[in-house]
Amino acid sequence: MAKTILAVDDSSSLRQMVAFSLKAAGYLVIEAVDGQDGLEKAKLQTVDLVLTDQNMPRMDGLALIKLLRALPAYQKVPILMLTTESSDEMKSKGRAAGANGWLVKPFDPQRLIEVVKKVIG
Amino acid sequence: MTRKKILGSHLKRLLSGVSDHGKSHLSEVETDLLQTELLLEEAVDKLTRSFMAIHEAVGARQDSINLLLAGGTPSADEIARMKAMSGEVGVHVNSAITSMQFQDMTSQLIDRTLKRVTGLRAFLGTLGTHSAGVNAETGSEEIVDLLGKVSMVLAIQSLELRSVLRKAVNQQHLESGDIELF
Repeated sequence: MAKTILAVDDSSSLRQMVAFSLKAAGYLVIEAVDGQDGLEKAKLQTVDLVLTDQNMPRMDGLALIKLLRALPAYQKVPILMLTTESSDEMKSKGRAAGANGWLVKPFDPQRLIEVVKKVIG
Repeated sequence: MTRKKILGSHLKRLLSGVSDHGKSHLSEVETDLLQTELLLEEAVDKLTRSFMAIHEAVGARQDSINLLLAGGTPSADEIARMKAMSGEVGVHVNSAITSMQFQDMTSQLIDRTLKRVTGLRAFLGTLGTHSAGVNAETGSEEIVDLLGKVSMVLAIQSLELRSVLRKAVNQQHLESGDIELF
């Protein structure tokens, strides 16, 4: 059965490109427009991987990760940040919040697929 | 300190504060706009090249299809080329997807510039608001008091503005970013 990925980003074009890239590799993709929407969708269905932006309205990526990690179903689910942020300070915050990896935008679809395959198969 | 000197000191602090604040923010506006321009130029250049390459690859594929439909026999070279085609189109599509992400980055830069401009307008508006109470009969002690209050309000506004202007986009090019698994 195909693995499901929750892609969280307030940029509609970015979501489309992530979804296009991952669907081409056989994954199912659920899109969320910000952290709040991502949290609600994550609660409705437990996904295999969360891919989230950092700077979003209503709820940012770090806040989303912390809330997801507080849910029993999401304690072990891999969560990757996909963001323009590249500072060591932000990466440390991401790691401390519970992220399993950090991808700096812009992403290359092939590299994205490789890292997703490495994380969830 | 004499009243005149206190007034002069407050006025100097206010004027230099407004000048420094304005120059600093306008310098950042300039930086962000130049970065936006760089990213846009590179995006358009790369997307143009990607689409032309895809067009060429699709055209070559169509030529091969037409040959097969016409009952022709492709040469060894043509067979090898056809086998390489699907990979080739994929590479150009991936390159285009990477380039198209300029929209997300430039959108953030433009949003930051807009917030800064709005903040600067509010900052200058504060000066106008506080000047409304000053007239020809206003005494120097009142003016000193007013200058002190305006400086305080502007300092707070300046801090508030800086707190919402963290720079999240440092990309100067559209090469794919680093990946790190923890």
